[in-house]
Amino acid sequence: MKKKYVIGGAVVLAAVIYLLYLSFGSSVSYYVTVSEFYDRSAELTDTNIRVAGKIADMPVNWDAGELELEFTITEGGKNMPVVYKGTQPAGFKPDSNLLVEGKYGTDRVFHATQLILKCPSKYESIELE
Amino acid sequence: MIEAGRIALIIALPVAVFSAVAAVAGARAVSDRLYKGARNGILVVFGLYTLALILILYAFFTQDFSVRIVAEHTSRDLPALYTLSALYADKAGSMFLWGWVISLFSALLALQARSNSRSAVSYAVAILAVTEIFYISLVVFGANMFASSSPPPADGFGLNPLLQNVGMLVHPPLLYIGFAGFAIVFALVVGALIARVPGTRDSGLVRRWAIFAWCTLGIGNIMGMWWSYNELGWGGYWAWDPVENAGLMPWLLGTAFLHSMATRGQKNYLQVWSYYLIVFTFVFTLMSPFITHGGIESPLHGFYGSAFPPYLLAAMIVVIIGAVWLAYIRRRDLKKEKRPASLVSREGVFLLTSIVLVVLVFVIFIGTVLPRIVEGLGGAKIALDRSFFDKTCGPIMLLLVFLMGVCPLFGWGKAVWRSAGRNIIFYFLAVIVVCGAILISGVGNWYIAVVVLCGFPLFVIIREWWRNAAARANSKGVSCLGAFLSMLNHNRARYGGFLAHIGIVLVALGVIVSSFYSVEIITTLDIGESMNAGKYKLTYNELVFKQDNVKVSAVADMQVFRNGRSLGTMRPSYDYWFSHEDFFAEVAVRTTVVEDLFVSLVWTGFDPANKGATFRVLVNPLIVWIWVGGGFFLMGGVLSFSFREEDRTGRKNK
Repeated sequence: MKKKYVIGGAVVLAAVIYLLYLSFGSSVSYYVTVSEFYDRSAELTDTNIRVAGKIADMPVNWDAGELELEFTITEGGKNMPVVYKGTQPAGFKPDSNLLVEGKYGTDRVFHATQLILKCPSKYESIELE
Repeated sequence: MIEAGRIALIIALPVAVFSAVAAVAGARAVSDRLYKGARNGILVVFGLYTLALILILYAFFTQDFSVRIVAEHTSRDLPALYTLSALYADKAGSMFLWGWVISLFSALLALQARSNSRSAVSYAVAILAVTEIFYISLVVFGANMFASSSPPPADGFGLNPLLQNVGMLVHPPLLYIGFAGFAIVFALVVGALIARVPGTRDSGLVRRWAIFAWCTLGIGNIMGMWWSYNELGWGGYWAWDPVENAGLMPWLLGTAFLHSMATRGQKNYLQVWSYYLIVFTFVFTLMSPFITHGGIESPLHGFYGSAFPPYLLAAMIVVIIGAVWLAYIRRRDLKKEKRPASLVSREGVFLLTSIVLVVLVFVIFIGTVLPRIVEGLGGAKIALDRSFFDKTCGPIMLLLVFLMGVCPLFGWGKAVWRSAGRNIIFYFLAVIVVCGAILISGVGNWYIAVVVLCGFPLFVIIREWWRNAAARANSKGVSCLGAFLSMLNHNRARYGGFLAHIGIVLVALGVIVSSFYSVEIITTLDIGESMNAGKYKLTYNELVFKQDNVKVSAVADMQVFRNGRSLGTMRPSYDYWFSHEDFFAEVAVRTTVVEDLFVSLVWTGFDPANKGATFRVLVNPLIVWIWVGGGFFLMGGVLSFSFREEDRTGRKNK
């Protein structure tokens, strides 16, 4: 009786771990801040990463025709130019915390595929997404 | 005046302590008087808590900006309807309301359980009293719930526009009600184990509370999805964000618990398994605020700077250790548990279902906390994107859909295919053959195969209903519809379960089809220009500016055509809110049974001379079936909830 449960449990566990293992590799990305990125830029260039920083108080270029957004994020005294194909999310303004997801190219510009904006803490509101 | 609320809660603390002590003493001494004292204590706590709630609500509705949370979350022009959401838009306020629901349910339980299995309920009352002490302490000592803002501002800061939505009005309270309901179930099951009263888990009292909590929590999650879809403007409803997972995991565990108590009146059936399921359901109701209050960093939103997570983490650890210790000292009682004779039987499928649900929660949990754990262990900071969840949870959820279809095919007890089952196996083989043919021939991709698989449980359930109703109609000489209704009426728990399954399968269909066949187009148009999205053509006719006290709106006038025929006008808007100094989009959705046309105005320059605007347009197939599925789920929950004791005890091998 005991044996049955042990074997059953082992099979389930093995299956789950295999499933996790399969999915993990392609979904995981490094998560760094702007200054951390520049410390390891050689290693992280051209790989899928997430970079956290604040939107810098610098000109934001929004090309409505091309749907292209150009701006700069900053953290730890370092600035990173970002290009994003898409529109500004709500709350997109200088000093907001932003996560950009994508790749830093050899052209020394970060090509974002996704922007995730964190609400400025002054709202203090729930925003259950 | 608001200070009185704080004082009421502080007075409630010693009363709750008294209740806890009296309840335990009453149970040990089998003393009626002590139990009555504990009961009255619970009622007094509820009264004091309600007084505090009334004072807070009074401050909200009279817009008393001298109270901190009123000033922070409301403003003079906030619609009265959303004044209530302002209470739980606050991190302390949300905990406060949740604690009140627990005190309400504890009072209800104390009133319900006058006599039956007294000592088990006595311990349950003690556990709930301790839970109340925890919540009240959090609100009173861990947060500035009753703080005043001096000098009072002339106007409040205002409620976040994203929260001014009906979905967000009901989503958090439904979650709190569901969580609090599971706290009652947890207290009763643990109380029964302490008091060594076997069979409490299977009593009508526990079942009804469990079904109630499960149904409310399920609907609460669906309302959250509805809000996300209709308010946030990204065109989706689920992003596997930690905050979303926080609401889903307790519901999945609660579902596993419900399935683990599907017995045929056998005492002690699978009691260890279902004991741990309810313990962890309760733990995950604490995990939920732990995550939303910032214990696990959400890449999206949540409460910031909350002081609660360490206390919640401590509470979770205490509950787990306490529960394991209790199981250890009661191991003799737990050893008597009965198990299904065979996995190839109806109870076997119930057990498998609950195991698969636990595996699912495990995977979601890993995905939610792993990045933090890796970081905590000194590893690299990593992030998992949603594809991780899609790839791991997708197959597990399909397995659940499959089990829903298989379940009615088996009889209780031994491994027998019922006659219906033997026939239906051919249908099932047909499903496999059709899916295989679709995949191999390349006519469709595997999404089609998945949809066919979802049809399987629907087919089995409807066929089952049809057979039973027809047989009943024949033998009683009534109409088929009459027979069907009386069948529902006579076995409400079972047919409620079927209805809920239909609901879940419809949700699954909506989710799968809309995820894979959604069309998204983002483009910038000038006045008079058109765009195509799927079979639709949208013409951007005009942009109208409107202003009121709270915002400036740019409302686009989009005429929608399909096959050259005009379907009317859609008016998405892009609003600038003065209080938040920010832009928020108000989406326009046109829903049909086949697909939704979702239009969001995502950018415009607010320039009367240049009215160019950027639109995000999505054609989302079958979305409406997610909400319809929610309706079926609710009906199923209500029907199951109204079960009668004799339905169960009088049931033979149905």
